[in-house]
Amino acid sequence: MMRKLTSLSVGLLLLAGCVPGAPEGTVALSEPASPFIAFNVWVKAGSQNDPAGQEGLAALTANLIAEGSTTEDSYDAILAKLYPMAARYGYSVDKEMTVFGGRVHRDNLEAYYTLFKNALLSPAFSEADFERVKSQTMNFLERTRRYGRDEELSKELLFWIDYSGTAYEHPEEGYVESVRSITLDDVRQFYDAHYLANNVTVGLGGGFDRALLSRVRADFDALAVGEVAAIPAPEPRMPNGVEVLIVEKETDASAISFGFPTALTRGHADFWPMVAMNSWFGEHRESFSHLYQVIRESRGMNYGDYSYIEAYPRGYTTQVPPTNVARRSQLFEIWIRPISLTAPGNLHDRTLFATRAAWRELKRLVDDGMTGETLETTQQFLKNYVLNWSATVSRRLGYAVDDAFYGVSDNGYLESIRPGIAALTLEQVNAAIRTHLQYDNMYLVFITADAEAMKQALLSGAETPITYAGEKSAEHMAEDAEIASFPIPVREENITIIGIDEVFER
Amino acid sequence: MRLIIATLFLLAGVASPARSQEGIFPFEYRLVEIENGFKAYLIHAGAPGQIAYVSIVRTGSRDEVEEGKSGFAHFFEHMMFRGTEKYPNFDAVTAGMGAARNAFTGSDQTVYYEVVASEYLEQVMDLESDRFMNLKYAEPDFRTEAGAVLGEYQQGAMSPSRFLNEKVRETAFDRHTYRHTTIGFEADVRAMPEGYDYSLSFHQRFYRPENVVVIIAGDFDFDEAESLIGRYYAGWEPGYVAPEIPAEPVQTAPRRRTVDYPGRTLPVLTVNYKGPAWSATDKSAVAAEVLGRVAFGSNSDLYKQLVIEQRRVQYLREGFGLARDPSLLGISTMVIAPDDVPAVEEEIQATVRRFQEDLVDAQLLADTKSNMKYGFLMGLETAQNVAFRLIRYVINTGGIEAVNDYYRTLDTITAEDVRDAARQYLMEDGMTVVTMVQGGGA
Repeated sequence: MMRKLTSLSVGLLLLAGCVPGAPEGTVALSEPASPFIAFNVWVKAGSQNDPAGQEGLAALTANLIAEGSTTEDSYDAILAKLYPMAARYGYSVDKEMTVFGGRVHRDNLEAYYTLFKNALLSPAFSEADFERVKSQTMNFLERTRRYGRDEELSKELLFWIDYSGTAYEHPEEGYVESVRSITLDDVRQFYDAHYLANNVTVGLGGGFDRALLSRVRADFDALAVGEVAAIPAPEPRMPNGVEVLIVEKETDASAISFGFPTALTRGHADFWPMVAMNSWFGEHRESFSHLYQVIRESRGMNYGDYSYIEAYPRGYTTQVPPTNVARRSQLFEIWIRPISLTAPGNLHDRTLFATRAAWRELKRLVDDGMTGETLETTQQFLKNYVLNWSATVSRRLGYAVDDAFYGVSDNGYLESIRPGIAALTLEQVNAAIRTHLQYDNMYLVFITADAEAMKQALLSGAETPITYAGEKSAEHMAEDAEIASFPIPVREENITIIGIDEVFER
Repeated sequence: MRLIIATLFLLAGVASPARSQEGIFPFEYRLVEIENGFKAYLIHAGAPGQIAYVSIVRTGSRDEVEEGKSGFAHFFEHMMFRGTEKYPNFDAVTAGMGAARNAFTGSDQTVYYEVVASEYLEQVMDLESDRFMNLKYAEPDFRTEAGAVLGEYQQGAMSPSRFLNEKVRETAFDRHTYRHTTIGFEADVRAMPEGYDYSLSFHQRFYRPENVVVIIAGDFDFDEAESLIGRYYAGWEPGYVAPEIPAEPVQTAPRRRTVDYPGRTLPVLTVNYKGPAWSATDKSAVAAEVLGRVAFGSNSDLYKQLVIEQRRVQYLREGFGLARDPSLLGISTMVIAPDDVPAVEEEIQATVRRFQEDLVDAQLLADTKSNMKYGFLMGLETAQNVAFRLIRYVINTGGIEAVNDYYRTLDTITAEDVRDAARQYLMEDGMTVVTMVQGGGA
């Protein structure tokens, strides 16, 4: 296939164009004036392709390829060759996609491409490299993931319970026990089965010439040809009422994530209406987010509060949406950043207050919809804001590869956002909200101290008021009273408690 | 009002290091300086139709000299989004422009930025100059925002690197404000709601034209921008009062400390030395930054040995990047077998001794210079990135001109300079070794 991206958006024309007659199996984003060349090689396999009991295999395979020796060079020789260029290549593995990417200054193109190509086409799969990469992964699974950042862990757990029983269930990095069992032979077999000429798309962006594009495709055609069994799209189960997971941990701040599956992906007729809705309700790391205004700006409860209609892993590291996490199934997700105790004993009240505040806003959104004014403000905001999503050639190329995944034809996703948003009517948006959002059925994840007390607080339905360091208006306090008693109806059998050291063990 | 147009560089495209005799910085720029001491750099760079508007305050957690006020520069950064009389709702205005806007604080600086369509140049300048001059917020809003800062403290509190960084600083420094991190001590963060009056004085002292440099990078007309700067910034009253930052006494004996991380971790060993202040022209300072890379970087012999061949550590990192005042040259590594920590430290010490005795390999030195230059050029892709790449020069010198000086100095660094830097700075008496281990019972 071939994708083009002729101009980024109205008013921000980039000197970009498709490459006429570009070969099949390529995504080409030519920007001749750029001094950089970006690579994006998409292997059509992800964690959903991990065999049972070997969860994490796709990620470990990609990791070893990106950070291991080739038949030409040992890993330290590769590092030594990359070093003077200040260039590197990396990998990302999501549910459905594995991507290898990198960027180099045109001065160093030939030397860089040789290393990049060898990594993918001639991996050495050495025992020593495998031991190193696996040890680093095990350290992440056993320690960093459980202790480093609870807010990210709560999001991963939300996906875990939401996709239970499907190919999306396990985290991309796998479980402690599954990764421990993976051998170098497993990696070799995964590579042989999935890194196939007909299962790989090569993407080039920036200041490359046409001959390079053909050469890269021809080089990757040296991979074997074969069949990869299709994996059915996951059909996650809607929660039955409110289903709660509480992870017990010694902490004085709670992580909170909640959501439910939707039928919405790129290309769906309601996608643009839901982009507008989500931008207003919870734009990622933006004070424009309504949830942010309610919980952080006027109440100072935490650092930020956002919502999502597409997967957004590692959101704490970025302000722009990740590329190459394209999926056939998505959640609607609310992320409440850590809620800290402010006095001994008030952690659970504050945790539940923030949860109730967000839930109440969701209810109001579903019941009342957006207004003409909020939609117009959102359209005005997004018109220029979305330009920030495509600032670099690597990101533009990432979007173009995602277009290939989704089968977005015409002008591609980036070019479609502005007209898609501008054309929306309030009726469309509110109809989409009623179709895709609801507030009765919810998966809810807490990572907090004293899980049993949290469970009892939830079951009791008792009010959870909060106090402030400064004065608040009567109007504000009246709204707080409503929030503090907002119902979260949950049955005891729908609350599961696990300890932090059980998380993602197997 | 008087406008001084100091410099005009014209160089097309993005240069390569080999062709950088005129200087490594490849873009056309103009300095606009006005009588109150305010400076703005105008740079043509990045994509058509967009500008990055970056305001750099040369104040950070380094300036938090008062007891109990750690973290305040960062907290104040939050307050800058709380509006003025003219624009009571800052966020609504930036949302109307669809701006990507944010801010961040470090030891030596507080930086605010907006990335907007070029058509908003005047509006964003009006908005920015207004809040720098006329910020106004009520005490209840101040108290509310303190809660958000506590939340920010919490979201990274368990990050092992932040936890360790806090301990290293407080062990290595006795008096200088680099003793505390930018986010501040938790007790100080929790006391922030009570600091309203202090916050007003903070703005008065530091948010002055002599202490702020604006970089506008992107697609816009220099003459128009220059005229707007005259209109919007000339009325800003000077009056910056530099804080008296306590000088750090010379360290006379090595320090050692073991700290417990309240989660699960493999041991992390850090070896730190007292380095010089950043300089674009002092060869020993630039050589110290080179030394970190050649001795402990991803292409060093020690990295090859410990990470790749022997696989005794999960990672090895160097932090030899310098700051406005003398700061730490640090090496950190995560050791796989806890009882191997002393032997790994000995490998680090042996490497220090080797670089004090032997000359660095010529190819490695040449490759390191190339790495540093291409690292700079690779970061010049967008208007925002171009402006961000210049922040360190503004922090340290008050202008961007030093970028070319720095890379010229780098070109002159010899193997002898690197050895001299190792002898001068990697002194045992100035060493602080902190080891982070898993806390009891966890």
